[in-house]
Amino acid sequence: MIPIARYFKLSALVASGLTLCAYGAQTPQHIDVKQLSKKVEDVVVPLPNEVFGALNKLGSINWKEYVRSDKGSNFTERPRIALLLGTVIADGFIAVQAEDAPAVKEIGQRVQTLARGIGVERSITQHAKAITEAADKRKWESVRQELDRTQNSVQQAMNEVHDEKLSQLVSLGGWLRGTEVLTAVVTKHFSTEGAELLHQPDLLAYFQTRLQAMPEFNLPIIREIRGALDQVKPLIDVGNARISSESVKKISDITTRLDNGIVTRD
Amino acid sequence: MRAFVKVLFRGSPSVAILLALRLASFASVDDAQSFALQAAEPYVKEGFQVREDYWGGDLGSGEKKAVRQQLFKGNEYWFWMGTEVERARISVHIYDSEGKLAEQADGWEKGHFAAAHIIPKSTGSYFIIVTIEESPEERTHWALVYGFR
Repeated sequence: MIPIARYFKLSALVASGLTLCAYGAQTPQHIDVKQLSKKVEDVVVPLPNEVFGALNKLGSINWKEYVRSDKGSNFTERPRIALLLGTVIADGFIAVQAEDAPAVKEIGQRVQTLARGIGVERSITQHAKAITEAADKRKWESVRQELDRTQNSVQQAMNEVHDEKLSQLVSLGGWLRGTEVLTAVVTKHFSTEGAELLHQPDLLAYFQTRLQAMPEFNLPIIREIRGALDQVKPLIDVGNARISSESVKKISDITTRLDNGIVTRD
Repeated sequence: MRAFVKVLFRGSPSVAILLALRLASFASVDDAQSFALQAAEPYVKEGFQVREDYWGGDLGSGEKKAVRQQLFKGNEYWFWMGTEVERARISVHIYDSEGKLAEQADGWEKGHFAAAHIIPKSTGSYFIIVTIEESPEERTHWALVYGFR
């Protein structure tokens, strides 16, 4: 991934030169989604801080409750490391929400160790350093950006050596940890708006499809996640109906169980 | 290197043209991404976090592509599209999961840049439709980035 800032230097003209176009009149008001479905690209998995940002707008949250900075287990199986890496990056976003500099720095180091375990350390060394520096200066926006770059660089490095499946496990680990925290927050202070943030059926289906295509990763934790996603699907795929507090609690229990499985040795 | 190119260009305009064509053929989605990011720049100052991840590919003139994205109610999103083909005209629009146009009215198109804005009314999947409206190239690289706040 090429750093965004590099491109920003190029471009003073775009904003000033833009002519806003009243193009709505020519834009179709409706499209046939079924016709499009064959041409649809894969989803870009949202970062945990996207959902945390939306959650923050519903009320103040004591993010410090959700910070986790313990080092956890060490694994040798690459799929396990990939899942844990995604989880740890998500922990980084939580630590940023809590503005907890020591936790952010520990997480930065942990990310580097895990990246080394799957041979992509070189891709993130500069980001890990930038995370530490930004945390020292309490520049939280910079830390967020570096965490995003870290995840992106790791996944790009994996994709370059045709480890796309590991890359997908990084996304899955982050999504599971983000969902665990989202459901914990909403369970504590239930609101229909908070529960609605769980309405992510296509994302869930995306992960289910990806996991089905990984028969070679025959590990207990992968099997457990597969089964758990089947349990979660009917709870969040509710169409226009509301997601109940009971469903939120069930998803919270499921994702907490999975998270424990990801961070601890069997 | 720069001096060498100057001498080369002075000596032979046809070589310069060939070189330019050759360079054009090396253009990639990464170049398109740099233009999409240029379009995003002013919005960063307004507090939008631009994702590192992006979509990209190449399309023929008049072709469309749909990408699907999970959006969260409470956030505000901009999607920026770019291509390195300066004489191309491109567009981007946002539809909800039922295919209804869901974007704000302040989206814009300007040659090889385009952008669409949405404040989602509900959390769920949305379709982002990118189109190469016109292009002098047979295939035109495009890239789409997004930001949220």
